[in-house]
Amino acid sequence: MPLCLMENIRKTFHSGAIEVEVLKSINLRLERREFVAIMGTSGSGKTTLMNIIGCLDTPTSGRYVLADKEVSHLSDDELSFIRNEHIGFVFQNFYLLPYATVLENVLLPTLYVDKHKDNREQQAVDLLQLVGLKERIRFKPNQLSGGEQQRVAIARALVNDPDLLLADEPTGQLDSKTAEEIMNLLREMNTRGKTVLLITHDQNVAAYAQRTVQIKDGIILE
Amino acid sequence: MKRIILNLKIAIRSLMNFKLRTTLAVLGVFLGTFSLIVVSNLSDSLAKKTQIEAEKLGKNLLIVRSGIVRRFGSSTRLLSEATTLMTHDAGAILDGSRLVKDASSSGNKNFPVRYGNVVLKSILVMGIMPNYSEIRNFRAKHGRFINEGDNTSLSKVAVIGTKVAEKLFGKQDPMGKHILIWRVPCEVIGIMEEKGLDISGLDQDNQIFVPLNTYLRRFVNKDYVNSISVQVINEQSIPLAKAEIEDILRKRHNIQKDQEDDFSVIDLKDVMALKTQAIHMIKILGRVSAVVSFLIGGLGILSIMILIVNERRIEIGIRRAVGSRKRDIILQFLLEASFISFSGGTLGVILSMGTSILIFLIAKLPFIFSPAGYAFSFFASIAVGILAGIYPSRRATKIQPVDVIKS
Repeated sequence: MPLCLMENIRKTFHSGAIEVEVLKSINLRLERREFVAIMGTSGSGKTTLMNIIGCLDTPTSGRYVLADKEVSHLSDDELSFIRNEHIGFVFQNFYLLPYATVLENVLLPTLYVDKHKDNREQQAVDLLQLVGLKERIRFKPNQLSGGEQQRVAIARALVNDPDLLLADEPTGQLDSKTAEEIMNLLREMNTRGKTVLLITHDQNVAAYAQRTVQIKDGIILE
Repeated sequence: MKRIILNLKIAIRSLMNFKLRTTLAVLGVFLGTFSLIVVSNLSDSLAKKTQIEAEKLGKNLLIVRSGIVRRFGSSTRLLSEATTLMTHDAGAILDGSRLVKDASSSGNKNFPVRYGNVVLKSILVMGIMPNYSEIRNFRAKHGRFINEGDNTSLSKVAVIGTKVAEKLFGKQDPMGKHILIWRVPCEVIGIMEEKGLDISGLDQDNQIFVPLNTYLRRFVNKDYVNSISVQVINEQSIPLAKAEIEDILRKRHNIQKDQEDDFSVIDLKDVMALKTQAIHMIKILGRVSAVVSFLIGGLGILSIMILIVNERRIEIGIRRAVGSRKRDIILQFLLEASFISFSGGTLGVILSMGTSILIFLIAKLPFIFSPAGYAFSFFASIAVGILAGIYPSRRATKIQPVDVIKS
């Protein structure tokens, strides 16, 4: 079974009396350990697609199976659980908690795991070492550069050992040299066995992926 | 537990951005707890003091006074004297009512007292029966109290109060010395224990006790007494005993239905009622101010929590994205709200403890820490936080990651 399987996914938004169909029959298949980029311009529906893949939103119709589980019609709390266990997010704007230290930010997803594990903090420190920030674990996000903040976000995304690493324009706020470092880091995570899904509009960034999927006007172009 | 601590740490740091509002919210709960505890401690202590005073006077005591007596606040005035109250009346009361445990007649008048060169112009001299000591809960500290023999033989003996002893004898030992009371030389056979003021303000350490018969024959040359102290078997029976005593005395004094009594039966509880009322008022005022303070604290917490939820929309979105359920968000904000109020409450408990001790020391009140006050304010301070946190935390769950996380 693939890690993600989308069949006939549609998403319609209502804005007053007007119906906007943002996603029109999306079919998508993502194997485990793949590194895939979804490319599209703004307004193409790629953000909506990412939200559905990331279980932040539900499709209007269609079938979505993530890690052998049908997730298209789960409740809000069930989706929280799926996100916590199976998905790690990396966002364009990093989205770290400003009042929390680097280590606390990385530990955030572990707060919502029901199963008790003792080695969480060690795992977080190991991940911070992996992304090269072991010396900064007591820092606050605003004491870090953009690239460092994105590394923290990557460590946070990995702390619950998810199946899927979902990166939405991860280099959008970074200069080209730092962007390269972050992309190399994502590629390294992929070689270490993570499935990585990249959402971008940037050809150079998409080039890091093994496979690129184009989306336009809510339809995937093959 | 680790989660709670981590969440609290993050919360405290974000509260630091609203120092003034947080301080006000904490202050509100603090004042609520503070006034609640101080007032319950104070009123409990005052109640205890009143009880101690009442027991000092004698347990379940009724006092029959000769003549018409009117009460003014906590003091009593004799409006007209009567010559009808006899020592036999005490016996009749004791025999006539099953509710009466003991009765003791006494007379009193002020006399000049002299020892050597020292003259005290006017000292209250009480002629009493031996059971007075038991009924009024007032004993000799040195030597002995008046006994039956002293009374029947009209002995010229006296038991003096500590103040009298001090004034007359200074550092000398008064025991066995003879003092001149009016024209009667009396041997000091005992010194009373210290007692302080009675409820009407009379200094009970500044009086002299002599046998009742000695007093009646040698001092005043009369056969009627001023008052009878009556001990009732228990507290509940006091009102009924009062009525029975009135009945007995009216019969014995041949008072007709339309005639006014020539005596008054005084229940000291009535005299104390004024004090009890004052304590009650303090209690109510304290509770009202506590409720108002808690309300202010609660509203403060409510406003600061709404502010915080708005300020932290992105944080909530991130937390939801990484897997927090709605109830985790609710719990988090309830925890924060009750943390604010609980820190106010803790502050209130500590400071009110200190303030109570200070008040007790200054006002010489018994040390009492009302457990009800502490328990109630503990729960109230947590409850206020939780109540004030409900609405903001419900608002927080309305925030969805897709609304706040934008690429």
